Amino acid sequence: MIKPNGNTYSFNYVLGLSITSLVLLIVLIGFFYTPYDPNKMNVALKNSPPSLRHLLGTDNFGRDILSRVMKGAGTTYIIAVAIVFIGASLGTIVGAFTGYFGGWLDEVIMRLNDVLTSFPSILLALVFVSIFGPGSYNIIFALGVLFIPSYARVVRSEFVVLKERDFVKNAELMGAGSLRIMFVHILPNTKRVLIPALLIGFNNAVLAEAGLSFLGLGVQPPEASLGRMLAEAQSYLLDSPWYAIAPGLMITLTVLGFSLISGGLENEQG
Amino acid sequence: MSKADTLLSIEGLTIGFAVRRKINTVVDHISLEVKKGEILGIVGESGSGKTVTGLAVMGLLPTSAIILSGRIHFLGKNLLTMEEKELRRLRGGEISMVFQDSMTSFNPLLTIGAQVEEMIRLHSKHTREEYRALTLEALMEVGLTEALEIYNRYPHQLSGGMRQRAMIAMAMIAGPKLVIADEPTTALDVTTQGKILQLLKKMNDKYGTSMVLISHDLKVIQSICDRAIVMKDGRIVESGMAKELFIHPKTKYTRQLVASAPVLFSKSNGEVKETSYNTHNEEQKEILTIEKLNVYYSEKAVGLFGKKGRKQVIKDVTISVKQGETLGIVGESGSGKSTLAKAIVGLNKEIEGVININNDDAKSRLVSMSKPQMVFQDPFGSLNPTKKIGWILEEPLKLQTNLSKKERIARVNEMIQQVGLTSEYLERYPFQLSGGQRQRAAIAAALIVKPKLVILDEPVSSLDVTIQAQILHLLKELQKKHNLTYIFISHDLNVIFQMCNRVCVIYRGEIVEMKEAKELLYRPQHEYTKELLKSAMVLKT
Repeated sequence: MIKPNGNTYSFNYVLGLSITSLVLLIVLIGFFYTPYDPNKMNVALKNSPPSLRHLLGTDNFGRDILSRVMKGAGTTYIIAVAIVFIGASLGTIVGAFTGYFGGWLDEVIMRLNDVLTSFPSILLALVFVSIFGPGSYNIIFALGVLFIPSYARVVRSEFVVLKERDFVKNAELMGAGSLRIMFVHILPNTKRVLIPALLIGFNNAVLAEAGLSFLGLGVQPPEASLGRMLAEAQSYLLDSPWYAIAPGLMITLTVLGFSLISGGLENEQG
Repeated sequence: MSKADTLLSIEGLTIGFAVRRKINTVVDHISLEVKKGEILGIVGESGSGKTVTGLAVMGLLPTSAIILSGRIHFLGKNLLTMEEKELRRLRGGEISMVFQDSMTSFNPLLTIGAQVEEMIRLHSKHTREEYRALTLEALMEVGLTEALEIYNRYPHQLSGGMRQRAMIAMAMIAGPKLVIADEPTTALDVTTQGKILQLLKKMNDKYGTSMVLISHDLKVIQSICDRAIVMKDGRIVESGMAKELFIHPKTKYTRQLVASAPVLFSKSNGEVKETSYNTHNEEQKEILTIEKLNVYYSEKAVGLFGKKGRKQVIKDVTISVKQGETLGIVGESGSGKSTLAKAIVGLNKEIEGVININNDDAKSRLVSMSKPQMVFQDPFGSLNPTKKIGWILEEPLKLQTNLSKKERIARVNEMIQQVGLTSEYLERYPFQLSGGQRQRAAIAAALIVKPKLVILDEPVSSLDVTIQAQILHLLKELQKKHNLTYIFISHDLNVIFQMCNRVCVIYRGEIVEMKEAKELLYRPQHEYTKELLKSAMVLKT
């Protein structure tokens, strides 16, 4: 593939882009069309191996696994996007303010940030869910809040550097207010680090959702999600391995694709 | 000259870089010779291929560079076909290099002594004590008299001039036959520049070492070179004896180069040449008065409960600027001139004293004109890299005026033409412009709100010499047209005398001398001013 400036993209970047487009295509189709109703049970076809009628086989209730993966991946993605959206937007605001103004506010907020990051996020999510109960909205909220510190840190460190640049001093001379300087003048310049951070964040959100749903705290049955399906497949791992392979592969491909893209982007920018 | 006198000869050298499967030629059929004991200057603007030529001789070209044709002979042996092992012996031993940026070319984690010493360790066999003695001797030789102390220092603990001296010691220690110096003085203050050039000359006289001096600066080339070559776009435009070449240039480009170098001292006899000044009118009213200004920098507190330190950068500065004049502020890096500029425009808040900006008739006009504007040294840093030029020019109008969208666009178009660009440039991003074009855009952004006072902080220091002349010309033109008042900050005396009516010399945060430009030039009083003028002279003779 050729970039606008004539050099070629790295192999990894192109590979990541291909994997991700494939996965996104499957999910996108899943929103409008699945071969079978993903929640329709069929006792006669319990745990049947992959065949022409059911390409990825069926599960313990006789539901079509391909349909469930398509639908379930969609659910997982929507949750992950929502988590990243909450984490990134609030994190960016926190990072922008602390980085631009500095001083004692910066100290206090960044120490709170440290406190939050010093606990494993899955543990905090567990605490949160055990208080407010399981369900997709609750894990979106819980994980969203837990994602704030990482974005705050990334954005803050960029702001600390950029606010000393001459174009910011120039904007001050023009009479631009602090908010305008922060979000119109400086923020677009952070995209160099913010975009890879968003991609990695999406990966982490997919994994976190899968983890929580695997523990039974996220998406509730009969809705499908990738983590949920893995949890259900666990009991049949030896008899019908295809049940676990399909959602597991989907998670792997998603994470691999996005990692390769963000790695490629970072390399490009050196 | 007989063949035996030739040390290095380059024949038909062509080097290209592969871009988009095409080959971009940066050095085009260059042939040159360096004789034993001479100093050859290569002068040219950025992108002329002078550095690439230097690197090719050292065999240090980046991997993306391809040598398309030509030969480089050193003492009769072709360097391009030589084994890597033999090349390594030559590098440092027979041919060595002095780089522009001594900070990045030394390893920050090793002491100066260890790094200079490594050079002889690689090229000769001695005992430990002998290595050390030789290194100390080499450091003394380049004027680092406290050699013992310098030996154990780290690069960041030395000043730029001292590091450059250490670099020369390192280049000379193995007794090379040829030294390639790539912009060795560009990063240094003017007083230090002269000394480093004299040192190079001394080494050349004493050891008969041939040198290739690469620079964009005519003065540097003229000061110590025997012969010189002018390069442009990868080709040799003109070559000849350095003295002849710049006094009677034959080609158009060399003439242009000589003409655009700011001339303060005349070419032939080193006497002062007068530059045209705006007539200074005593009746003009004062636009800016500064009284007893002190500016501080707070140092970062050490530890959580550490006390914040405060460092004084500007001490008791009193200045007044009259409308329509250009006040020059000259000083070395670290003298506080930029800090002073930032304090005047209000970017530095930790000040004591009075800064009074006269804006009587600001109210009578539609546009607020009270705020002084500023043009920064590095136009790439002062233009937001993610915004188009059009947006950058429109932004101050959005913020400071209540013009309609249509009126704003009309003003932007008018301004971009006044600085010598076309409306097409409004749709471009800063990185799509050349250095000179970027600086024009930065000037447009500063002038678009019609300020009366503009502070120019080293506005041409990062530009090539022909571009410098154009920008200075543009600034003068705009000043006449809009009756602007300039405060012009520079470390370059030539530029200062070309632009300014009055000059104040700042040294360690204090004004040591302030008077009419001519007066200062002919009758400097303070020791520091004399030294500044002297080193500017040294570069010329």
